Amino acid sequence: MPKTTALIFGYNKYAREILNNVKDKYKNIKIYARDIEKIKEEDKKFIESFDLSDEWDSIKKDVDVSKSMAFCVLEDTAENIFLTISLRANFEELTIIALASNKESANKLKMAGANKVIPLVETTADIIANMLEKPISNRILHSILYEESALKIAQIKISEDSHFKDEELHSIDWTRYNGIIVLSVMRKDMKSEFIYSNKAKHHILEPGDVLVVVGYEKDIKEFEEKIGSKRYVDWSNWSW
Amino acid sequence: MLKRWILDFAYYLDTSKSYQRKKHFFYRLLEDDKFKYKKYVDFLMITLIFISVIVLIREVKHHVNDYLLFFSNYIISFVFFIEYMLRLWVNSSVSKIIVARAEHDSFLHREVNLKKAFLEILRVKLRYMLSPQAIIDLLAILPFFHELRLLRIFILFRVFKLFRYAKSFQTLASVLGTKKFEFLTLGIFASIVIFISSVLIYVMEGNDPASPINTLFEAVYWSIVTISTVGYGDITPVSHEGRFVAMLVITAGIAVLAFTTSLFVSAFTEKLDEIREIKMIENVSKLKKFYLICGYESIARELARKLALSENDIIVMDEDEQRIELAKADGFTALNYDPGKVESYEKLNIDMATQVKAILCLRENDVENVYSALTIRSIDKEVFILALLMQDVNRKKLEFTGVDKIVYPQELVGLITKELVGKPVAFEVIHELRSENADVKIDELGVTERIVENFPTVGDLGNKKFRVVLLGVYKEKDDHFYFNPLDDMLLEAGDYLLVIGYQVFILEFEKYLHTKVDNA
Repeated sequence: MPKTTALIFGYNKYAREILNNVKDKYKNIKIYARDIEKIKEEDKKFIESFDLSDEWDSIKKDVDVSKSMAFCVLEDTAENIFLTISLRANFEELTIIALASNKESANKLKMAGANKVIPLVETTADIIANMLEKPISNRILHSILYEESALKIAQIKISEDSHFKDEELHSIDWTRYNGIIVLSVMRKDMKSEFIYSNKAKHHILEPGDVLVVVGYEKDIKEFEEKIGSKRYVDWSNWSW
Repeated sequence: MLKRWILDFAYYLDTSKSYQRKKHFFYRLLEDDKFKYKKYVDFLMITLIFISVIVLIREVKHHVNDYLLFFSNYIISFVFFIEYMLRLWVNSSVSKIIVARAEHDSFLHREVNLKKAFLEILRVKLRYMLSPQAIIDLLAILPFFHELRLLRIFILFRVFKLFRYAKSFQTLASVLGTKKFEFLTLGIFASIVIFISSVLIYVMEGNDPASPINTLFEAVYWSIVTISTVGYGDITPVSHEGRFVAMLVITAGIAVLAFTTSLFVSAFTEKLDEIREIKMIENVSKLKKFYLICGYESIARELARKLALSENDIIVMDEDEQRIELAKADGFTALNYDPGKVESYEKLNIDMATQVKAILCLRENDVENVYSALTIRSIDKEVFILALLMQDVNRKKLEFTGVDKIVYPQELVGLITKELVGKPVAFEVIHELRSENADVKIDELGVTERIVENFPTVGDLGNKKFRVVLLGVYKEKDDHFYFNPLDDMLLEAGDYLLVIGYQVFILEFEKYLHTKVDNA
């Protein structure tokens, strides 16, 4: 089910960065801050106050959690874990993305029920290491992922009427679709497999499988039309 | 006339490039530990020393082959003589002293006083010749006069030459040198005790027929044997007075021994860190390519771990002792230097242009990173610097220092979230490709002349056989990435192939690209 509401817990530099990057992707955005005096004027319209001891009544009342995405970005690790646990305890269906300072707190946040954790230290170190060791591939991947070039990465779901349906992955001649490269396939059970992996080789495409492809916008569109499917992200069973 | 000739010759030598080059070569060969050929000379000298000592030992009870004897007495001595003369030559410059004197005198409109110049030369050369190492070198040549049997024993002085070649001896000498005053005090104390006790025992027992001490020499010998707590027992006092002196000497002996031991221990403890540091710097200056990390906080720590996994050499520099201890515990070469000081880099004794892959300013503090980056730029304009930015307001300052790449973690969080929300599967796939633990990886393979010869076009590569996806070709000369190129695209040396696949398959593919001719 597509997400329409973003709930950002905490008001700090990370919360503002997230807000700036996702505000055009959601219909509703709410920032839950504890110290509302320090809020910048332009952000005030998103603000709701909250307390860690809350029963979350206002969320229960106002928000459809199954269509919401929560970002837990409290600076204190212990509080962030406590927040994640209380959100998970109250809202089973809520998708939670949490920010962690390191791997240790990332593990705890996962245990606390976060769907996705961004370990800040590891991620930054990963990116720097790639910049230094594989500068070209890093630049290309970065431009693809963050759409800084005409190249795009897209997820294409195999639909009921796709002519790829029931075909073995191995037997499809991808070279027919010159403009794009298929990187991997995500099966219905949410396991992603590299296109040339042994497991993916004999995989029979089923409606609901998602292909991850790289190409130019025009070619991706053409490919979508050819295989008769549409770009879609199903968050309902999402878990990492 | 003679004076003119001498001056002309001195000026000629001082300005002659080939002479200076030769002299510099010999200087490095004998004195510069970083010169690659020095170790061969050292090895040769050490071998010669051992040969002559073996000959000396053998000669005591057996007949030694005449040729070997000749070799030991004359050839080796001759080699040492040459070495001695070379050292004397390179130690100081005669021509420079004469030229300096000539310049000085002509500046003051005086007639050039060569006498003063020669006296200066004599002083400088004598100072060298009277240094302990030069004296040992000279004594090692003496066995040349083999016929004087007494001089044979000077072969043993050749062993002392080992001091010159073994660094640890020099370290030992420098360590003990720091306690010169304490050792002098101890020596004076021990000498006084030995002197008094020798005289006392001689006076007490010299005339006693039952006592083995008959001469002053025997008394001194007894005193030294006793004070050193060795106590052979071959000479022992027999009278009560003598034994009383023995008790005093034994007590003083314990004090002397304890004092000596503690001096050695404290000298080493105090110098240990310094010795380790010197050794570490020596090792660093030998490294071919390494990353220099300035500041060892959480991101730096994680990054160092990742870079070390791909077999990179890492040097950590931080002014905080605790963080340096942590880096050492993590197995890195870590130096407790301030990355914001030029002196720190000078101490490292490295060539930034050739030895450093990149300098990473990773303090989680913008002020420190700006300071370090500026310091590094003031030393080297070209070296690649990457710096961490913690507050966006400081970006301009960091850019101003000339940093090549800025990493701003906060911005990364925003970008990641955006992608994570928009294309979670794609994000995971790309993230997975970059992650260190993933089986499937993205890699860049450099195209060489040889590869171009065997695989002129993209279609010839045959990457699909190896289950490797060719994402595209990066052409360095036009800085352009050609995504999913057509089969007829021509490859050129200097291009990079961006491939995705299992690590093992990529390795196989890479091997195939490099060895196709052999397989054919």
